[in-house]
Amino acid sequence: MSVPQTFEPKIVAFVCNWCTYLGADLAGTNRLEYPANVRIIRLPCTGRIDFNLIIKAFELNADAVLVSGCHPGDCHYTTGNYHARRRWMLFRELLSTLGFDLNRIHFTWISAAEGKKWQQVITEITEKTREMGPYPYLAIPDASVSTVDHGESTA
Amino acid sequence: MIESLRATCRRLLETGTAQVVIGYGQADPGKAVHPVFIRRPEDADQLTWNDQCYPNLVAYLKRKEVQSLGKAAIVVKGCDERGLIVLERESQIDRGSLYVIGIVCGGVGNPKLDKCKSCGAHRPRFANEILGESSLLQDGVGQKWQALEEFLTKSPSQRMAYWQNEFSRCLKCYACRQVCPMCYCERCLVDKNRPTCIDTSPTLKGNFAWHITRAFHLAGRCIGCDECTRVCPVGIDLRLLNQSLAKAAEEQFGYRAGMDPQAEPLIGSYSLQDKDGFIG
Amino acid sequence: MSEVISASALRELMRDWLRQGKQVFGPRQVKPGLVLYTRLTDPEQLLVSGFIHPSNSPKEFVFPRHEVIYSYRFEGKDLQLLDAPDSFPEQIVLAVRPCDAAALPILDKLFNWDFQDEFYNRRRQATTVVTLACLSHDDSCFCTSVGLGPADPRGSDAMLLPAQDDEFEVRPFTEKGEASFSGVTRTSSKQAGTPSGPAKKFDAGQVRTYLSENFEGPIWHDETLHCLGCGACAYTCPTCHCFDIVDEGNAAGGIRAKNWDSCQFPIFSLHASGHNPRSTQPQRQRQRLTHKFQIYPEKFGDILCTGCGNCTRNCPVNLGVLNVLEAMKNGQPL
Repeated sequence: MSVPQTFEPKIVAFVCNWCTYLGADLAGTNRLEYPANVRIIRLPCTGRIDFNLIIKAFELNADAVLVSGCHPGDCHYTTGNYHARRRWMLFRELLSTLGFDLNRIHFTWISAAEGKKWQQVITEITEKTREMGPYPYLAIPDASVSTVDHGESTA
Repeated sequence: MIESLRATCRRLLETGTAQVVIGYGQADPGKAVHPVFIRRPEDADQLTWNDQCYPNLVAYLKRKEVQSLGKAAIVVKGCDERGLIVLERESQIDRGSLYVIGIVCGGVGNPKLDKCKSCGAHRPRFANEILGESSLLQDGVGQKWQALEEFLTKSPSQRMAYWQNEFSRCLKCYACRQVCPMCYCERCLVDKNRPTCIDTSPTLKGNFAWHITRAFHLAGRCIGCDECTRVCPVGIDLRLLNQSLAKAAEEQFGYRAGMDPQAEPLIGSYSLQDKDGFIG
Repeated sequence: MSEVISASALRELMRDWLRQGKQVFGPRQVKPGLVLYTRLTDPEQLLVSGFIHPSNSPKEFVFPRHEVIYSYRFEGKDLQLLDAPDSFPEQIVLAVRPCDAAALPILDKLFNWDFQDEFYNRRRQATTVVTLACLSHDDSCFCTSVGLGPADPRGSDAMLLPAQDDEFEVRPFTEKGEASFSGVTRTSSKQAGTPSGPAKKFDAGQVRTYLSENFEGPIWHDETLHCLGCGACAYTCPTCHCFDIVDEGNAAGGIRAKNWDSCQFPIFSLHASGHNPRSTQPQRQRQRLTHKFQIYPEKFGDILCTGCGNCTRNCPVNLGVLNVLEAMKNGQPL
């Protein structure tokens, strides 16, 4: 099945207020163009980003998710990104066991001075995701429909 | 050994060291084993021990109906005991006022449960008193991740298809949550409804959200008692999720939940040496 | 003389039903050691022997675990409201245990009491129930103690009774049952034996009296303290019917749905004020037993239990109603 020509991937970016958000803002003030596919969600710190937010983004038809914050050592709240880093290391394992396409979940450190990096990261993710096509989470038309179809376990 | 167990129970109740002894009982040999709460010395004969003693009694320490019975003594297998370590570290129990009766266990189930085949905790390590002999018990820790490793030979899309299949059966009965000693939140996130965070509906979306949340809330805390898997009425192999996180905890952080009473909780702490390898 | 059908002819009949676009449900081995009532897409999936009772109940097919009552979509400034479908393809639930079938007429009374529940009735009307009499039972079964039995016809449109040589005697009880098996059985001199079922374990009348006299009695604290408060018993029970209404949606649209609920959950009776009239597990267990064995009989004339044993088999700590009912005997002249 070929990807329709008009497919525009939806990228959801959870970013920290103090580094990545300002970095994105810097991209803007420098007039660096980047794809409008990204929806930016600003949080105080990556330490506050709950793993459920990533799942919800996919439930709401995101095709890729980016989580980005301050570099280790530069967190505005000192240690928030260290907690986040450990959390992501473990959460990625769970996502892998569940069979998520890990190519659709990205993590970066982007500082307030790295407007260029923001432009590059968003452009790259958008292009990659456009090539991969849509990611219908749970791969069924309406995942909110109950089913009595208990298939035979393949375990 | 059962006689020593009953004698211990009588002694604890008579001396007032405990006001309730939480253990296993069996009405008669043909019937199933079930948890009992002995409050009078003369009821101590209700206590028993055999290879059908499946439930992890540590789960009862979080229940207010049991807490209101007073100072407790509890019968634990080595696997169950790890739960005590985690609960104490998370300030959920006062270990000093809990009397722990450790049972040396060669495994439960007939045939033996998978977790017992790879058990390295036959003899409880921090009990107030240990009952039972441990001469012939082998350490099977080497086969610990067998089920998980077999599962991981599947490709990502095969894995997702597997879980869609498994979770299509989930009824949202929460038996997995209720038997878990580590699930002690007074109001579970899935029960939050102003606003709702996780769909309570037993749809694929709601079931994935629930199991992902529960598995991750147990990251670094799950002690591998496998009770959640045993009690699921529709046979979902929940262990695989918890094992994948436990394996990651061990391989990436050298961490095993409930083994070291001094260890910091895994997700609650961090190290400057944590190496991700995937953050750009 | 009786009408019989062979197991292979039964499967062929099932194949015909599927070809006709009917939905077929029945017991299936979903994984080693696990039999569930579930949708069958191939006759080979149907299990007619080698199990006592599936781990779930067939109430799912008339009272689904999740049912959308209505849904809505926002189209710009417009709201599109969609009702739930009002007709269902014909469905046949095959090889149902008599205890599970007997639950349906019991539930019919509740769902048509002060309000006609169209969601239930629509599915119920589209359903034909073909039972499979029981040749064996386990320690958790107690159908004979609640006025039923291993070949009880209650709730059944037609019954299959195992006879020799892999054949079943077919006994239709209703027009639907007759229609389902017309022309596919052969007359035979074979007669299926009459299975005996478990010995009676308690007297339901005396239980009802005990419950009305022991509301504050010590039995609840003594016998049900080990209940962990999950929903395994209620959800696998053929007669439990409590439900929760939920709204789920987002900026694009949403649904209102009816989901199963269990009186054993702590928040089941939690008031918005924070007060909980059943704040301890023994109180909730008392409610469960009393509802099933005293209140429902008083209101509807039926015990809200058919003795299938699922609650005991599925309980993580081996509780279930039977253990409590048997405890009522101890020290009590029951």
